Amino acid sequence: MSVQDRPAAEVLSLRGVRKAYGPVLAVDDLDLTVEAGALVALLGPSGCGKTTTLRMVAGFETPDTGSIRIGEREVAALPPHRRNLGMVFQNYSLFPHRTVAENIGFGLRMAGVARAERDRRVEEMLDLIRLPGRGDMYPSQLSGGQQQRVALGRSLIVNPKVLLLDEPLGALDKALRESMQFEVRAMQQRLGITTLLVTHDQEEALSMADRVAVMNRGRILQIGSPNDIYDRPQSRFVAEFLGTSNIFEGRVSPDGTALLVPGGNGDVAVPLEAPAAAGQPLLLSVRPERMRLGANRGEGANFEGRITGAVFRGNYAAYQLDVPALGRELFVYRQADGPLGTVSFGLGEVLTLGWTPRDAVPVSAE
Amino acid sequence: MQMQAPIAAKARRPWLLIVPALLFLIVFFVLPLVDNGLRSVAGDAGEWTGARYVTLLTDSFYLRVTFETVLLSAGVTLICVIIGYPVAYFLVRKAGRWAGVVVFLLIAPLLTSIIMRTFGWQVLFARRGLVNNLLVDQLGVISSPLRLTNSPEIAVAALVHVLVPFMVLAIATVLQSVDRRLEESAKILGAGRWRAFWEVTLPLSMDGIGTGAILVFMIANGSFVTLVLLGGGIQTLPLLIYQQFNTTRDFGMASAMSTILLVIAVFCLFLQLRLVRRQGA
Repeated sequence: MSVQDRPAAEVLSLRGVRKAYGPVLAVDDLDLTVEAGALVALLGPSGCGKTTTLRMVAGFETPDTGSIRIGEREVAALPPHRRNLGMVFQNYSLFPHRTVAENIGFGLRMAGVARAERDRRVEEMLDLIRLPGRGDMYPSQLSGGQQQRVALGRSLIVNPKVLLLDEPLGALDKALRESMQFEVRAMQQRLGITTLLVTHDQEEALSMADRVAVMNRGRILQIGSPNDIYDRPQSRFVAEFLGTSNIFEGRVSPDGTALLVPGGNGDVAVPLEAPAAAGQPLLLSVRPERMRLGANRGEGANFEGRITGAVFRGNYAAYQLDVPALGRELFVYRQADGPLGTVSFGLGEVLTLGWTPRDAVPVSAE
Repeated sequence: MQMQAPIAAKARRPWLLIVPALLFLIVFFVLPLVDNGLRSVAGDAGEWTGARYVTLLTDSFYLRVTFETVLLSAGVTLICVIIGYPVAYFLVRKAGRWAGVVVFLLIAPLLTSIIMRTFGWQVLFARRGLVNNLLVDQLGVISSPLRLTNSPEIAVAALVHVLVPFMVLAIATVLQSVDRRLEESAKILGAGRWRAFWEVTLPLSMDGIGTGAILVFMIANGSFVTLVLLGGGIQTLPLLIYQQFNTTRDFGMASAMSTILLVIAVFCLFLQLRLVRRQGA
């Protein structure tokens, strides 16, 4: 059952892919591998090159240099219709002049599948996407979520080698988006289809992907499991793009094994995973939910702070504190664990906040 | 209750805005049309008569003229679609930041009067025109000038020249609203370039072709100046109406022919309305 037992077949791999538009480098020397049956999310702000990457895999853009392989086949020079892919667009892109059944059966018709066989498989797909009996309707008669399921069914019916999802849930409202995240993920896992997801929504990436690749300025900064990416960011950009982070400046210790960060009462040493050059400046990231906040001092760093903002967010409260010792503000999240109907702290309260080395992660300034 | 009167008056006021235009239309458009219609069915002794329509719809000469008129317009329309579609496609999908320039180039000829444009063709193709000059005197390819004007081909070419911008703009407007990702979806699903165009882009731009075709057909059907100046040998309804008024001075017959032209135009408008309504559904 374990993943290691199977040979990790690469279904999609990009090697040294570059794409420039005039003087603008959209994708810079990018390497990416998606293993068979896995869902990898490309996550980044708009303009980071994630969409260009997806469009190069799809065949709508041609890389300047580099190789794109699907299975054993080099596809960089192949037109889109010969790559055996499925793709779901943000705005669904259903053919408005064709019925739901015709939309879903389009790929089969292009492949020359006979009418009877096609009808049978379309019916099966309608059941799979939980829209039985809706085949004769037109896309405009369906809700957003239903249209998205049709788009998914239309892509999956051709048994694509790789499924490409381009911000697939971006047009849905929040509640529907969350349920569709589960639904798409469940179907992807059931069918074991290799999938590349492009999104700027960190929550979508974290909740749907096996691995998340965070992109910025045409490069992948870090790739790993959602857990890993969130808890062990390697750079300031990753730490701040996925959720919120408190960033502290520090220096590598003389022996190169720890990062020394001013902790309010002398430096606090945070062990480094790999030795670094002594004296080199590095940053430290501490998540707001990992910060300590209360009346008493604790292990590690301690600062005095005054609450300048308190926001109730349902299951937790977010506080902003002005810290005179640092000359800036820090963020702390507290689980709502007081009596019902209360927030633990109020505006103007002066408290002690701090962090311990085991909750802190050294990050590069990138 | 007292407040309601002024509010009601205010709500009625927008209608007042179209009164001048309405009056203008009634005096200069509706009344002449009615007069024209009455004239076509008025007998010599003041009685009603349908004789002119019977002649128009049964006499082989008039039927041939009507047929030739419709055939000419249909031919011009077809050529406009064939020439106009690729231009519209280029304008919307490929021109990018040059789109404005292309639109300007399209519209610029419309700023010149139709007579000037028609004379342009004369200058090119007349007996001592540019083309013959080039062929005979400069290149010496032929010994005597070709008879190029006063041929149906030149008339068709001139009409296409005048009308193709309407076709391009009608198609481009609709093509603009066709999401190119629909084409991309078709390609990903296994359709090659032409197949994707045939299956998705073309059907979705049919409304533009329809609108443009009806527009071009109607204008070509009523075209007069171009045919008078260039259309040697082609006999169409507008030309015949002109003759009836100026030469034969048979106003009744001319009026009846106008009505036939009008009926064809109204039928075209009806087709267009149906097209728009189907799109709206």
